[in-house]
Amino acid sequence: MTTEDVKKVKDKEVRKQVVIPLLQHIGTVCEPIVDKKTEVLIGQKIGEGNDEFSVPVHSSTAGHVVAIEERPHPICGSVPSVIIESNETNDTIEFKTSKNPSKEYIISALKDSGVVELNGYSLYNMLTSEKLIDTVLINISFSGDVSSNCAPENITSIIEGMNLLIKASDAQQGAFIIQKDDRQLISAIESGLFEEADIEIFTVEQNYSPPMANLLTYEITGMQIPNTCTPLDAGVLLSSASSALAVRKAVLEGIPQITVNVTVTGAVHNPGVKNVKIGTSIKEVIDSCGGYSGEPGKIIMNGIFSGTALSTDEVPVIKSTSHIIVQSSDEVLHEIPGPCIQCARCVDVCPVNILPGRIASFADMGMHDECFKLHVNSCVECGRCVYVCPSGRHILQLIRYSKTVLQQLLKYEDETRTSGCLTCETPCLASTPFISNGGIL
Amino acid sequence: MKLTVSHPSHIREGVTIKTIMWSKIVILLILSLFSVVVFGLQALALVLVSVLAAVLTEAGIQKLTNQELTIKDGDAVLIGLIMAMLLPPDIKLWIPVVGAFFAVALVKHGFGGLGSTLFNPAIAAWVFMNMSWGALTGSKSIPHIGEYTDLLMEFGAGRLAEVSSVVLIIGGLYLIYKKYIDWRIPLLYLSSTIIVAVILGEELSYVLTGMLFLGVFILAPDPTTSPITKNGRIIYGLLCGIMTVIYGYLTYNYVVAVLYTVFFANAVAPFIEKNTYPKPVNEVPK
Repeated sequence: MTTEDVKKVKDKEVRKQVVIPLLQHIGTVCEPIVDKKTEVLIGQKIGEGNDEFSVPVHSSTAGHVVAIEERPHPICGSVPSVIIESNETNDTIEFKTSKNPSKEYIISALKDSGVVELNGYSLYNMLTSEKLIDTVLINISFSGDVSSNCAPENITSIIEGMNLLIKASDAQQGAFIIQKDDRQLISAIESGLFEEADIEIFTVEQNYSPPMANLLTYEITGMQIPNTCTPLDAGVLLSSASSALAVRKAVLEGIPQITVNVTVTGAVHNPGVKNVKIGTSIKEVIDSCGGYSGEPGKIIMNGIFSGTALSTDEVPVIKSTSHIIVQSSDEVLHEIPGPCIQCARCVDVCPVNILPGRIASFADMGMHDECFKLHVNSCVECGRCVYVCPSGRHILQLIRYSKTVLQQLLKYEDETRTSGCLTCETPCLASTPFISNGGIL
Repeated sequence: MKLTVSHPSHIREGVTIKTIMWSKIVILLILSLFSVVVFGLQALALVLVSVLAAVLTEAGIQKLTNQELTIKDGDAVLIGLIMAMLLPPDIKLWIPVVGAFFAVALVKHGFGGLGSTLFNPAIAAWVFMNMSWGALTGSKSIPHIGEYTDLLMEFGAGRLAEVSSVVLIIGGLYLIYKKYIDWRIPLLYLSSTIIVAVILGEELSYVLTGMLFLGVFILAPDPTTSPITKNGRIIYGLLCGIMTVIYGYLTYNYVVAVLYTVFFANAVAPFIEKNTYPKPVNEVPK
């Protein structure tokens, strides 16, 4: 037997499994609606929530359920997941197609198909939130999204998806947001838009990742949105290319969100864009790209500036995955942070105009009240301050630490207030800085 | 397979404290070469002694207090080098030794080391030396940029920094281009100096000395002692320019004016910073 034959036998013995987490959105975990050993088809609903904050989950493969248990999740530690073993067939459920859908049809199709934005918000919830939407923006300035979903053959689908979103939301106008340097994409979208009068193209200078939604809306519409609100509160539905594609697929073809396009770059043999079934492990995706070249040191999901470093490559691809970067072990940074020399390079690059280095120094000393006064909660975690820091300080980590502590303090303050705290009349027992400072919160 | 987990960002620009410090040091070394041409080996001895004194002081302090040696980051070398630039070449060599000790031990490490200093150590040490031994640290000559060639090589210089403005201008523009220093402070310092001097009717040939350019490109934009806020840096630059001309107008000495101005500006920098905290773009007014 040659080595190839051995491989084939092995492939047959170990049936392919997908691990579909029941939490792929911001909200509550879905309840599984299948049992162990249930036969499922491609596109069959396997998880559904009881409340409005959950998004249904569908099977991306045909086979039978092996187990329903907690499995590692790329973002949330470990969450209940449905593990399905493939039976190597492509049996699907019957997909409901539609030629010219009405508004109600689009919304119900989005509800059933569980389309999730790159930042984890459900599109269905956004459309039914009873907020007046007058603009639909599709952000195609995020590099991971662009490289995965903006291939020339997808442009017409993206524009169709945009039109569906405009129809569903009753918006007056729509716009694509593209990075200035990306002339190819601009001209592709322009030629696709020749007969759409109410859709415009805006160009921006920087790469806007999904968490920077408020900032992007400010840049385009001039409306300042506080960090406790979303663009929706300003009447803007901010979507992405991947969601636009998913919307089109869900409404016109009836296929729920069961695949995503993922770009794989870095230390792999054949970097490229792959259409991946949700639930496939990152390891399989990388193997399909020729495997690791050299010893991998870090696997990063969704962007090198602000992405998450994964602890294992056994985690599944989820709906919001768009970019996987593999760093070899030599590329991984192992620097020891030095003192802050107050060079203010972080201040110069900060997109929200705060003082990241100063906040990090205060967080390092545990002075979270000072961090609050310096607007730590406005940080959108883009990671640029860390990129330029000449001392290699872990600014973003310290900012996140401060944000977490502040959240806990806030919770504590709420509890003490309801239990009859005489807000700051007497020296505070909890010595929470906010209360003693006159309750700025 | 070992995977590293860390917070973003997962790459760095590659500019470190070392690159910033050493590129400034290289500029000042070129300037020292020019000063050796003008003043002879006296200047070389001064540079060597003050750099050595600064480095040895830093090493000694870090050894005594069991800290990690940080000579390689170049800060001590830079302090010694800047201090040498502020002194006349024929100075008695024990003075820079005391000055370097004062700069590194008291002004730098006394206030918490790199990144925590209130005053630029080299300037503070110069103020200390000038107050203590004024007769010994005074210069014999005051530069006068009579011709354009004086910008390249000024033989009437009294202190090491004054020998060549061109080196400092080119070096400073390089630092700005590489974003090792911010453009706001140099631009506003230089332009406000020229504008106020012209308004007061001063002769620019006495104003635009090498010392002013040292102040504009190296001393005032020193990262630690200048404000970190963007508006603060603008005010800081304006303040430096206006103060320099006022001091020079009243004392007829634009060389010393630069040093005392930056010293003063260092003192008020925290105050400027505190009053110019920026408003985040996603902060909605109440």
